[in-house]
Amino acid sequence: MLVYGLINSAVLALMALGFNLTFGISGVANFAYGAIYVVSGFLTWTLINHLGLPYALSAILTIGIIGVFGGLIYKFIIRRIRGLVISEVIATFGISIVILEFLRYVGFIGFKYSLPVFIKGSVEIFDTYVDIQRLLIIAFGIFLITGLYLFTHHTKIGLAFRGIAQEEHTSLSLGINPDRIAGWSMGMGSALGALAAIVILPLGTITVDSGYDVLISALSVCIVGGLGSTFGVIIASFIIGYAQTITATYVSAHWTMIVSLVAILIILAIKPSGLLGHQKELEERV
Amino acid sequence: MMNRMVLCLFFATIFFLSICPASAQQYITLGVPTSLKLIEGYEGHKAAQLAIEEINAKGGVKVGNEKRLLKIEALDIRDGEPGVPTSEALLGIEKLILDKKIYATVVGNFRSEALLAAMDIFSKYKIINIGTIAMTPKFQEKVLSNPEKYKYSFRNCLDSRYLAGYIQNMMKHVSSQFGYNKVFIATQDVLWASATGSMMEKWFKDNGWTVAGFDKYPVGATDFSAGLMKAKSAGVQVILPIFDMPTSGILVKQWKSMKIPALMAGFISPLMGTKAWKTFGEDIDGLMNVVFEIGYFPVKAYPPTVKFSEAYMKRWKEDIQSGHGAAPAYDTVYVLVNAIEKAGTLDPDKVVKALQETDMVGVVGRIKFDKGHQLIFGDDPKTAAVGAVFQWQKGTMAVVWPNSIASAKIVKPSWMK
Repeated sequence: MLVYGLINSAVLALMALGFNLTFGISGVANFAYGAIYVVSGFLTWTLINHLGLPYALSAILTIGIIGVFGGLIYKFIIRRIRGLVISEVIATFGISIVILEFLRYVGFIGFKYSLPVFIKGSVEIFDTYVDIQRLLIIAFGIFLITGLYLFTHHTKIGLAFRGIAQEEHTSLSLGINPDRIAGWSMGMGSALGALAAIVILPLGTITVDSGYDVLISALSVCIVGGLGSTFGVIIASFIIGYAQTITATYVSAHWTMIVSLVAILIILAIKPSGLLGHQKELEERV
Repeated sequence: MMNRMVLCLFFATIFFLSICPASAQQYITLGVPTSLKLIEGYEGHKAAQLAIEEINAKGGVKVGNEKRLLKIEALDIRDGEPGVPTSEALLGIEKLILDKKIYATVVGNFRSEALLAAMDIFSKYKIINIGTIAMTPKFQEKVLSNPEKYKYSFRNCLDSRYLAGYIQNMMKHVSSQFGYNKVFIATQDVLWASATGSMMEKWFKDNGWTVAGFDKYPVGATDFSAGLMKAKSAGVQVILPIFDMPTSGILVKQWKSMKIPALMAGFISPLMGTKAWKTFGEDIDGLMNVVFEIGYFPVKAYPPTVKFSEAYMKRWKEDIQSGHGAAPAYDTVYVLVNAIEKAGTLDPDKVVKALQETDMVGVVGRIKFDKGHQLIFGDDPKTAAVGAVFQWQKGTMAVVWPNSIASAKIVKPSWMK
């Protein structure tokens, strides 16, 4: 339970990091995130199976293409409505539906779409066999979080990210272009979603409908952790991940579906800004 | 000269237009109102199309003294997709009947409630409906509740009662070969799967088995480790999965990677076809799956399945992936044609009577309907339609039950003593 709870938490954290990054920097809740995750899986599958590219190259290309795609979504759609929260949600959710239904329309149906695991086989940990791909998910989670920390604290663009996140108008006066940085954050968030898809999807199959599930998982982790807080996302992933595993072990797998929703309800009742979120925190205190 | 040419063209056009409806009337149109984007609907449509092309190539269907060609009008009514209301599916069916003037429908509804509601429409317009997907036993009950009104509806595929029977036979077979009697049930948390699971739970208890656990997984679940650990610690010998969601393949992958020492024997829809091996490879080796109707892959002991599989592959350049619906859809067209030729007319009442007396050899076995218009299933294709149990054995789908068509014995996974 300990091992699989940890893996489940890492899966949730990976799914949520991209969504959280975009929201934390630009304030845009990217409801197309689940669709971007799914389209990344199908794109990698297509590059491998139709163009015959090596797995590693397909993965790198996918992350790059999806990153650019995310940036373009910002440039051509979101930039015009940025700050209008309802419009942002409607626009990104609309994009999500268009992407997912387009994938369905062009024939991505059935069970045959799956990415190969990075390394085959399983290892025994505490008398439990765990496949290596799941362990790699934990490794990628740690790598991503460390990488994000270093990026936002030690690179020029990363510091600009933090500047916009902290105080957009002041950043503007220091020569940081908020629109450009927000576009970058959307692109990077999308690329992180693609990376999560490439690491997680080898565990199962790629399906159009999973886009909605991924969005709900990412949303619940971000709401519980506090929108925009990376550390909050990590804590929330552990809380929800272990809560789901404990529920499946001691109650019934049937009830795992409501764990994240119950977590959202509890956090909204107690601390609407989330565990470590800063959105509306001032209003809460007042 | 120019005027004469224009006049000639005008009369040629009039002549052409006037003969067009006449030639269109030569066709008998079959409707395929189903979820065309879902695998059973997609393949069922193609299988029916294949049958029609074969029949047309031989000159068509003989109605009295004339030969008529067949054609298909397919419509994606999406009733198998989540969130699509039944009313939308019914509108689609009515549109096919009124706009396309279909004579009968084949393949048909996915969702049971849509099928039950559609039966009234078929009765209203006297449209013969031979479905091959929805599986509720309420279908026969509705036909028997008013045989005259609902006589136009038939089902040429397995229903959920027969499915439960096949799973029971599989467990008896496992028990007789290995002496196992301890099971863990894992189902998808949807009505048909959990109902089948509950039915099996009762059967296990009535037949001396110990049910160590019964887990229901929400649609989209991607981690089955908790249930598998419970099964392992309880020392079960068999895990019975009942799933049709795409992510259920993960259950089998985890079963292998966690080396759970139990046979995995049940129904996992995504692992039914040859592409499952291409997708999952050796991870699914050893899984036993219940086939709803034989015919979608070649079974050497029953040659019609080989002929059909090869014909489908030749026509569509891909083999069938779903263990439900395709072979019956192909048979359905032949059943209907046989009834029309026997009746010698297109009068639906007379064709229905001929359908009720159907007794012919099909891809799924011998085709006969019971009084509730349900295809009769058994364990020998010479006497009834047949489902089967196969096991993935090094990339091949080896039939292990029923004995009449079995080609292999059950093999335990390598990590099981």
